[in-house]
Amino acid sequence: MTPGLGLSLLVSVTTGVLLIRWVWPDTTAAWWWPLGTALGAAFGLGLSSVLLYLWMLVFGPTRGFPVAEGCLLALVTAMALVRLRRAPKAVTARVRPEHPGRPSGLLAGAAGLALAAAGAAFLGQLRRQPHGEWDAWMNWDLRARMIFRGGEGWQAAFSNLIPWSHPDYPLMVQSLVVRSWLYAGGETLGGPALVAAAFTFGTVALLGAALAALRSASQGLVAALVLLSTPFFIVHGASFYGDVPVGLFLLATFVCLALDGRYGEATRRFAVLAGAAAGFAMWTKNEGLTFVPAIGAGLLLSGLVSGWPAARRRLTAFGLGLIPMLLVAASFKLRLAPRNDLLATLGIERTIDWLTDPRRYYLTLREFISHLATFGFNGFGSATWLLLAYLLAMGIARREVDRVWTRMAAVVLVLMLAGHYVVFVAMAYDLPRLLNSSLDRLLLQLWPSALFLLFMAVRTPEEAGFSLRGAKPA
Amino acid sequence: MSAGAPDLPENGPGSWAVIRTRLGVALVLLYALASGAAWLKLAASATGRSTPDEISTYERRFREVRSALPAQGVVGYLGRTDSAGRTPAEREASSLLDFKHYLLAQYALAPVVLIESTEPDFVVGNFDPGRAPSTPAGFRIQRDFGNGLVLFRRSP
Repeated sequence: MTPGLGLSLLVSVTTGVLLIRWVWPDTTAAWWWPLGTALGAAFGLGLSSVLLYLWMLVFGPTRGFPVAEGCLLALVTAMALVRLRRAPKAVTARVRPEHPGRPSGLLAGAAGLALAAAGAAFLGQLRRQPHGEWDAWMNWDLRARMIFRGGEGWQAAFSNLIPWSHPDYPLMVQSLVVRSWLYAGGETLGGPALVAAAFTFGTVALLGAALAALRSASQGLVAALVLLSTPFFIVHGASFYGDVPVGLFLLATFVCLALDGRYGEATRRFAVLAGAAAGFAMWTKNEGLTFVPAIGAGLLLSGLVSGWPAARRRLTAFGLGLIPMLLVAASFKLRLAPRNDLLATLGIERTIDWLTDPRRYYLTLREFISHLATFGFNGFGSATWLLLAYLLAMGIARREVDRVWTRMAAVVLVLMLAGHYVVFVAMAYDLPRLLNSSLDRLLLQLWPSALFLLFMAVRTPEEAGFSLRGAKPA
Repeated sequence: MSAGAPDLPENGPGSWAVIRTRLGVALVLLYALASGAAWLKLAASATGRSTPDEISTYERRFREVRSALPAQGVVGYLGRTDSAGRTPAEREASSLLDFKHYLLAQYALAPVVLIESTEPDFVVGNFDPGRAPSTPAGFRIQRDFGNGLVLFRRSP
């Protein structure tokens, strides 16, 4: 890895962490660096991508961008320092584990070993496929090359003469790869690899840290262990597709909304951040476009539990965070992106035929059940069955504090699955082939969020009345 | 006993609650162990590799072609015209391979836009190595790079 590549990641993550630190509501929820860093890393990646896009609209993919971003980092650092100096000393609430004892040595050791093994596998996969898998080089990497090599003519990367390369796909992954090359001073296979690693291991970090903060350190470790051990997550993460990146932003949205569930009565900031994270998801893959209405519906329905004033407050703040990314995504779709190839080939009559064909519903349902049941199979068993057994063993934690969020998150995930189901039935030309090639990837996008929901709901090992050797109570 | 659970008979040592939760954690650890073994196997198999990957190798063929093309614009592409194979499955596999070669050519030759057509003034021919290139009507060979790669240019 060249120093430039390392610098590209460092600038992005540092800017994100400092920005999160800057907006963190200290008087309501104490800053906890593992969660702040993981959340900041995700926001930093998203922000860097958007900044490069805006920069390119004005200047093209030029070497001046790293300098401009460096200036931004200096500004954000100054803002965060000023904020820290003025921060009140007294903190009224804390985002800290309710069982803040040190995690079990057994779980910490297992998670450490799993991280090392998954890291080695990730590197091994990069060595085998340094350009990523088929869809990665023919879509994401190709677009990044066309932009980077295109110079002033970078917009040719969105030519409708090559529809098979999906030039309408949002720009998160491609722009981050271009950005890494601008920092490195030239094209290198290390660029996409670094971006892929940041998203893959950033997701593990965010899942673990968020659960450690909101539930317990042991709970965070168990969840991280399951994610690190999900074969498709690591292998696909190293394939440079957009599914793991979009999964990170979906997770970040849920984490911010969970924080809002805890502290939303005193601050709107977490709901605003959730809106921004959902916007980044929209900027990563077209599936993010279905996530936003699903979240909106979930937030609206949460009014049934929390009351309408709280739901309205949450929705308004979420919308505030979302608007900037809506504008960015709209500018891309209107200015650069050609029409989506899937939509372009749709005809009303054919869609109605498909929608009224019960065999398509049956086939899609059968594949959904089959893929869900076998998801994360690793020779020992599937992750779905493992988690079902774990849930039965530990039991559900009936916690009033997360009741609204838990129901909202469950509704959103079900809506996302339902949305994918309808898209398959209504729009897939070669349904069996598309189900076979895409369904696991769609499930993977939701996987970190589903794990987060499950481990928020399930009792922690401590709550289940189990003392793990080495665990230190508070 | 942890901070979250008092030491009651129903969750004391040897109770069903404790056995159940230990089983739950043990399942997760076993799942992680199975994946960890697979990860190490994958990492070890990749460490022993000395040959470069297929795409890097294929891409190397196009290095000279790229420098002979215009820096921007649309360039034509001509691949194998006959999809070999006796059965429909073989023909489909052959056709898919041809498409993959076209995609790889586009990947290698970016930022020019490569279209499967002889409409543009420059056309890249990507044939089987050793096979005589078939020049499309109205074109002449601008340069033969060998190894099945040819750059055609529209005749004036």
